[in-house]
Amino acid sequence: MTRRELMRTLAAAPLAGRLIQAERSPAMPVSVARCQSYDGDLTGALATMFDQLGGLGRVVKNKTVTIKVNLTGSPGLKFQGKPLGLTHYTHPKMAAATAYLLERSGARRVRFVESAWATAGPLEDYLLDSGWSLHTLFSASKIVEFENTNALGKGKRYSRFKVPGGGHIYPAFDLNHAYEDTDVFMSMAKLKDHATCGVTLSMKNCFGNTPASIYGDDAGEHEPNENPTKGRGDVCHEGSRQPAKSAPSELDPKSSRDPGYRMPRIVADLNAARPVDIALIDGIETIAGGEGPWIRGLRHVKPGVIIAGFNAVNTDSVATAVMGYDPRADKGKEPFKNCDNTLKLAEAMGLGSTDLSRIEVRGSRIADVQFKFSA
Amino acid sequence: MLPLLLILAAVPDWVPARWHSSDVKTLELLNQTPVNCLLLERSEWSPGFAKAAKEHGIATLGVVRPSADALDQARKPTTLGMDGVVLEGDFDATVIKALLDSKIPTVELPSRARMRLDDPTLLVYGSDQGLWPGIQVEDNGSAKSAPSGAPWIDTNTGFLRFMRASTDKPVWIANIPPANMLVTAQRYIQAIADAEITGARWVVAFDDDFNKRLLAREPRALADWKRITAALSFYESHKEWRAMRPHGQLALIQDAGSGALLSGSVLDMIAVKNAPVQPVPTPKLNNEAMKDAKMAVDVDPSALSAAQKEVLKSFTRAGGTLLSAPPGWTFPMPKDGSITVAKDDFKKLDEIWKEVNGMVGHTNLGARLFNVSSMLSNLVAPAGGKQIVLELVNYSDFPVESITAQVLGAYKHARLYVPGAAPKDLPVYEVEGGTGVDIDKLDVIGTIILE
Repeated sequence: MTRRELMRTLAAAPLAGRLIQAERSPAMPVSVARCQSYDGDLTGALATMFDQLGGLGRVVKNKTVTIKVNLTGSPGLKFQGKPLGLTHYTHPKMAAATAYLLERSGARRVRFVESAWATAGPLEDYLLDSGWSLHTLFSASKIVEFENTNALGKGKRYSRFKVPGGGHIYPAFDLNHAYEDTDVFMSMAKLKDHATCGVTLSMKNCFGNTPASIYGDDAGEHEPNENPTKGRGDVCHEGSRQPAKSAPSELDPKSSRDPGYRMPRIVADLNAARPVDIALIDGIETIAGGEGPWIRGLRHVKPGVIIAGFNAVNTDSVATAVMGYDPRADKGKEPFKNCDNTLKLAEAMGLGSTDLSRIEVRGSRIADVQFKFSA
Repeated sequence: MLPLLLILAAVPDWVPARWHSSDVKTLELLNQTPVNCLLLERSEWSPGFAKAAKEHGIATLGVVRPSADALDQARKPTTLGMDGVVLEGDFDATVIKALLDSKIPTVELPSRARMRLDDPTLLVYGSDQGLWPGIQVEDNGSAKSAPSGAPWIDTNTGFLRFMRASTDKPVWIANIPPANMLVTAQRYIQAIADAEITGARWVVAFDDDFNKRLLAREPRALADWKRITAALSFYESHKEWRAMRPHGQLALIQDAGSGALLSGSVLDMIAVKNAPVQPVPTPKLNNEAMKDAKMAVDVDPSALSAAQKEVLKSFTRAGGTLLSAPPGWTFPMPKDGSITVAKDDFKKLDEIWKEVNGMVGHTNLGARLFNVSSMLSNLVAPAGGKQIVLELVNYSDFPVESITAQVLGAYKHARLYVPGAAPKDLPVYEVEGGTGVDIDKLDVIGTIILE
């Protein structure tokens, strides 16, 4: 065997392994439902969807459920002056209906979490600034609590989550305790495009698990900055600096600094390190063309659909198809024009299948609810 | 001309507007509106119009600007039956004195820097310098963000709050709409409210296009005029709010020399956080002024007298938190007559702002408002009353939904007042240290009264 043949064989081996892993990746049912408005029977719609998936009670009864919502960017930035829940934020009525349903299904505690943009202040304040009525939320459920995971929060130490298989960018992540002190982890996402990652669904929502105290642009060099005031562009997107040294550093600081390379891998790694137990994607009203008002060319759209599942990769794959995209598209094709495909990276890590022929869709058919996000 | 004493009595109730016509028929546009004082350019000075205006119960003032024959010009309006004169701009002191001596009712609208804050003879404390209120927009059309990520609001409220704390006389701001800007009725209402929530008055002034369309009674202009005058009527039907004083636990000690007459100064920075604040002009700093405060910011400690320093010592001894500008720090005053801090000096201002922001933090100093990034507010209360009044303005072009207010103290009833609608009772609920209330939707202006 020549040196060139040896190199070729070695290079092919992990790929073959990944392909086998991809084929064996879990494929669980995903529920899809039409829902045209936040003012209808949202609870009823969600209950039906979870019944189609085998019931919520068997997953959440007597459990603490942590719900990572999507409140990306400052609540002061609105798209066309519309309420945030109608564009790029989790809608408060979706949160209230879910909390009610979880309590009814026997959950012991429902904890809403988010790494609030540029603050370590109480999440309750941030939610109020986002147009949530906590008064209404507490009326819907008595077992609700909140944690801002942008820093240490109510915890005494950060929880370390190792990436199985070693990870692409980071070998492990230091996160707020809430992601560990829970029995069930739900990602309550929004059906959106994403400028850097192609799509923003339940997996990309988990990028917000990372605390800016460690992964933020003003994180301490050695220790976390417990009063972060910035985003995570330098550390995560660009890789122009390392996270606080208290957390594991990058595996290869010489790897590509292209956000289209880094971000999909970081998201896949995060999902491997802290898997999503319940993925719930709100596509009733949202935006197309990007993840938030800072992206040019956005459109406010009303796909009128909700997607839910117990596997994030499966659920996101169906959601991607609902958006009119191929969930298995390679880099260079919509929606992954400038980035690697997070879904396929996660699939290769064994997190779940992107193969729609293997994922059973319950409720509405994809073709019946499809809403093309591409302009 | 009315006798000076009668004028003096009428001035607090004047609702002023610049009027660009001497056609008596245009006075019909003012029927059923609160506008009762017209500022007329020289080309519109006319005995017939002044007489007709008087019959409508409307005062007329002739606008004069600095010129070589300014005094002669200023003497003319009253000879034509008008009620007085407005000196707009910075005039020589001899002109002002001559008019005062001749007992001609005179309203001065100088630059902010030339305002005479200690002159009890003034009918009105005013200036023609102001920012056009609204959310700053970047060149690409998106809202300009403050460091907080929230849109930055151009406002005159900081300047006007300070003026209102400095005097019991009427306070006017007489800026005009920017040239080459399409101004909607909404923006005019915002300009009215920007002054009114502080208890001051904006001298209503329209852009040329709207003026022409209004005077020509173009239907859309008339519809906008109706909305604009409804906003004026809203505040005129609640004159009692104007008499109330700022309510809250944060005091800001500042004076003209430390930036109080500027826009975008410390008061406006606090306003953008919607934190209630009591401006305390340095000459008025005494124990009484500090009695309700639990936190205070002293922008210029070097300006305090020994007695005033003692007041602040007593304040801190009683448990108050005092933030003083660091020794040697001076407010970066603009050098070019501008009413805003120069961009190069933002960093210097930021030094004190970070400290203020850190001190105020998430503390409820009377009221905390949520989901109000495009709004400003003012919390006022009558002396010794069991009522608080929270005045709100939305500077966005879109209504704001799902606003939450948390006020200190237990209140049993809350009622929302908006122009053109019946008052609406709002459910109140208990929150930590006080009372919570939610507003579903607010267009431009609204006021919550809690009792």
